[in-house]
Amino acid sequence: MNKKKLLALALSTVMAVTMLAGCGGSGSSEDSTGAAAEGSGSGQDTLTVAMSSDATSLDPVAVNNVYSSNIMQQMYSTLVNLDEDGNVVPNLAESYEVSDDGLTYTFKLKQGVKFHNGDEMKASDVVFSLKRAQAAAAVSHIFGDIDPDSFETPDDYTVTFKTNVANTGFIFGLAHTGGGIVSEKVVTEAGDNYTNEPIGTGPFKFVSWSKNDTIELERFDDYFGEAPVLKTMTFKIITEATNRAIELESGGVDMAFDISTNDISRVEENSELQLVRMVDNQTTFFAFNCEKEPFNDQRVRQAIAYAIDTTGVVDAVWRGVGQAAVGPIAPNVKYFDDSLTAHEYNVEKAKELLAEAGYENGFTFTISTNERQERIDMATIIQSQLKEVGITAEIEVLEWGALLEKAGNREQDVMMAGWTCQTPDPDMAVYAPFHSQKNGQVGNNYANFGSETVDALLEQGRTTVDSDEREQIYHDIQAAINEECPWVYLNNGEVVVGAKANLTGFTPTPYGYHSLYNISFK
Amino acid sequence: MLKYVARRILMLIPVLLGVTFIVFSLMYITPGDPAKLVLGDTATEEALEEYREEQGLNDPFLVRYGNYMKNLLLHGDIGTSYATKKPVIQEISECFPATVRLALSAMLVAVVLGIPIGIISAVRQYSIFDMVSMGFALIGISMPVFWLGLLLILFFSVQLKILPSSGYDTFAHMILPAIALGAQSVAVITRMTRSSMLEVINKDYIRTARAKGQKELSVIIKHALGNALIPIITSVGLQFGGLLGGAVLTESIFSIPGIGRLMVDSIKMRDYPVVQGGVLIIAIAFCFVNLFVDLLYAFVDPRIKAQYK
Amino acid sequence: MEEKRRFARLKEMWSRLSQNKLAVFGLIVIVLLVIVAIFAPIIAPYGYDEQNLQNAFQSPGNGFLFGTDEFGRDIFSRVVYGTRISLLIGFVAVAIAVVVGVLLGAISGYYGDKVDNVIMRLMDIVLSIPQILLAIAIVAALGNGLFNLMIAVGISSIPQYARIIRASVLSIKDQEFIEAAKAAGSSDFRIIFKHIIPNCLAPIIVQATLGVALAILTAAGLSFIGLGISPPTPEWGSMLSSGRSYIRDYSYMTLFPGLAIVLTIFALNVLGDGLRDALDPKLKK
Repeated sequence: MNKKKLLALALSTVMAVTMLAGCGGSGSSEDSTGAAAEGSGSGQDTLTVAMSSDATSLDPVAVNNVYSSNIMQQMYSTLVNLDEDGNVVPNLAESYEVSDDGLTYTFKLKQGVKFHNGDEMKASDVVFSLKRAQAAAAVSHIFGDIDPDSFETPDDYTVTFKTNVANTGFIFGLAHTGGGIVSEKVVTEAGDNYTNEPIGTGPFKFVSWSKNDTIELERFDDYFGEAPVLKTMTFKIITEATNRAIELESGGVDMAFDISTNDISRVEENSELQLVRMVDNQTTFFAFNCEKEPFNDQRVRQAIAYAIDTTGVVDAVWRGVGQAAVGPIAPNVKYFDDSLTAHEYNVEKAKELLAEAGYENGFTFTISTNERQERIDMATIIQSQLKEVGITAEIEVLEWGALLEKAGNREQDVMMAGWTCQTPDPDMAVYAPFHSQKNGQVGNNYANFGSETVDALLEQGRTTVDSDEREQIYHDIQAAINEECPWVYLNNGEVVVGAKANLTGFTPTPYGYHSLYNISFK
Repeated sequence: MLKYVARRILMLIPVLLGVTFIVFSLMYITPGDPAKLVLGDTATEEALEEYREEQGLNDPFLVRYGNYMKNLLLHGDIGTSYATKKPVIQEISECFPATVRLALSAMLVAVVLGIPIGIISAVRQYSIFDMVSMGFALIGISMPVFWLGLLLILFFSVQLKILPSSGYDTFAHMILPAIALGAQSVAVITRMTRSSMLEVINKDYIRTARAKGQKELSVIIKHALGNALIPIITSVGLQFGGLLGGAVLTESIFSIPGIGRLMVDSIKMRDYPVVQGGVLIIAIAFCFVNLFVDLLYAFVDPRIKAQYK
Repeated sequence: MEEKRRFARLKEMWSRLSQNKLAVFGLIVIVLLVIVAIFAPIIAPYGYDEQNLQNAFQSPGNGFLFGTDEFGRDIFSRVVYGTRISLLIGFVAVAIAVVVGVLLGAISGYYGDKVDNVIMRLMDIVLSIPQILLAIAIVAALGNGLFNLMIAVGISSIPQYARIIRASVLSIKDQEFIEAAKAAGSSDFRIIFKHIIPNCLAPIIVQATLGVALAILTAAGLSFIGLGISPPTPEWGSMLSSGRSYIRDYSYMTLFPGLAIVLTIFALNVLGDGLRDALDPKLKK
């Protein structure tokens, strides 16, 4: 008998076991900071949040996605904030002024605002941050209109700058996390390493980030605003929707974003939990490629719209989450025309229009969408509804990257995706997706829609200051787009957040990222 | 021995060159614009173009590959992530420990179940025992791992509320993922144990030991298993190597921040540097695991050691 | 002579296989599944894409043997049609891998030297990339779809076959019947196809049986990642993956496609193991 062999086996087993045990021992303190361990007493000052995807960067101008913004919203402050009704209110700014021509912006800054490293925030930091945002690709659609040579700082607490064009919607963009003020000194010194040690003036400061796992933040005691009750905030990345709900139920987290339709009733019926909901600014669209046959014929587009029972599709797939979309502007966006209703579902009309357009025998086309299950599901039902009017729709599920590539080449027949208006101002909701100069190759007009009337209205709406006149312009835009039918609107999404029943101080926003620093536990 | 190791490591070089070339080519032909994915589709065309130029995405294939290899070979630099702007090596090293921990736990489950089942099955070939135990071992490999994972979560985390469903911090966190992933390897290990046991079990020295009146259990454990160990170790090693990069489904279901998820996210984001770097590191790890297994042979079996001149 | 010997060997293999009850069970299941796949339109009471939103989420029974899914489609019919798709994926993917792998392995083993070195290093390269990652990368590159899925799964499993066949070739290439064929002036091509490959088929059959199982699982995994087949095609993996969000309320939606996968993979595995036992005289008692 060979003792060495047994020894080898024994050794490798022991090694494996010790390594496992070692790992177990080194487990972080996360469980003990979780609410479960704290009990339900009102003394809880830690918040654990389940998020469906990791942040990409904690540098405000490096990315534009809701996961990153959800973290940065707690860490950075912006010159202005949006209140619950979507009005602009000063934040880092004491006050601000916009010149009559809509081109010059002047901000008076609050004094004594501290960065997380203790330095005071000065006008130079604001200039530095906004210049960075202006030049940064990821947020260029929001800050790109700033004239970088126009900045002036008469003193340490005053900043003025000009924009290249007048845009009434611009000021709202300043509340986006991309406009988070960073420290000139820290960013310059850190260089490429900045995203490992980000610093802002917000209520929470960065502690640690473990990729695809957790991000931890800690209260910043010298915060210029109202001091938060919470001491620490932990974001846990849990990709599976089912697991986010399970973690919430089991007390592993205090709050979970993106609760799926299937878990809603479970959370609602659980007396220890509450559900916070708000219709958001995302519109799922079914965009015809308007420059491609047969979709260059308005009658064909309308026929397909008549053939799709939007309400039925939305009810079946979303089962009460969000609502059927009625126009290009989402209901929480300014100047939404609340007289609009979902388009008519009328198979006979659809058939008539098709016959008029010369397609009485139908045709075959492809719906391109990405791998979001709800979109695939909606497409599947639409496919079956279109069969009724003799149209064969094939569904092509692409990864997001491949879908964008296809749309960028303007090759698709129909693209199904979502468009989110990240500000309360309607300009962002309609300008980029419907202006002829933003066609799929260079912009977000994936329908490759072009209408001189709509173009003119879009430009007019942008430069008109808020007024009844501006409201009328946006109502006209909605009516014109509905008439020409480049999109079939499917649904408006909904923010669905699950939380412990005793959690208070949370108000969701329709932009997909939320302020969590006012949360406390009863 | 050292010479052998050195030669094996040298032989790694062409394999790794090949891996980088294959992955580079695959990523090159994959549709999708990293600039749009990283910066968002709302970024202006000028900004996107500037980014492509800056990252060298407009260069022809050979220039891009050449630059990549130059940095890799001359500076040992595998680049910076497009998405996070962090060095690829940092991204990977943050994700590797979770993967290694998961793979080790899964192998432990597989070994603890697979070897005894394999032995029983071999000793009682074609008996009801053999059938039942092989059948049991095969159930694991027959279930899609993400379904098995979900069922485990539903049973242990939701129904019984005794084990957590996501994360990897403590021993308790590792139990369900280890079972789900380990179940995939149980069958392989059982099979290998069974067949290599069958090979030795009828050899003369086993008969001799039995004839000497030794207890059956001791004959099997000491004499038979000892001699059947080499192929078992190989299959454990190969399985382990495979798990290092191939556990993406388990990682997703149980929210384990491992390398598999990093790879899939990066493929979807067209984060080429991370994909290339990740596959390169996984391939290196895989090759070293294999080398380690080969060396273990030599340690276990002096006859093999003699060949490593 | 050679033909006869092969036939005799097959017969012996069969008689040994038939002793193994588990393997026989596997074989019967596979045959039944193939029958289901062929006669799917006759067996299935509904079309696989027949929607009826009013009938969504019906529990098993009530006229729907396996219940209905979120679109009111009959799950039983979809599982039945799914047999076609899943078996097709498994068999075609493995066929691709076997054809390419056997060819490469045979060339490699037969010619040896530099050719061998180049081919085997290439196989090492492919082997050192985890199969699922390679398949994901290939599907990402080619795009989603049934055929691309089969190619991706096929390519990523080529090395296994190449290695097996190469080893077999090495073990038989110096045997006398090969020498005889050479002496008789047969071309290399003829020798490889007429003499070598037929004599190495046994281990390939075993590996291919297990390979079909693996291919079906890999395809299911790709569905989970969002790289599966486009709807409404009823592939088991995509049914499982899209049904998983309903698992807590309507677990039958995943139960039946899941069981179909388990049954198929299990049957293929026991059959493969039985074949291996039957082919390997060393394992005989």
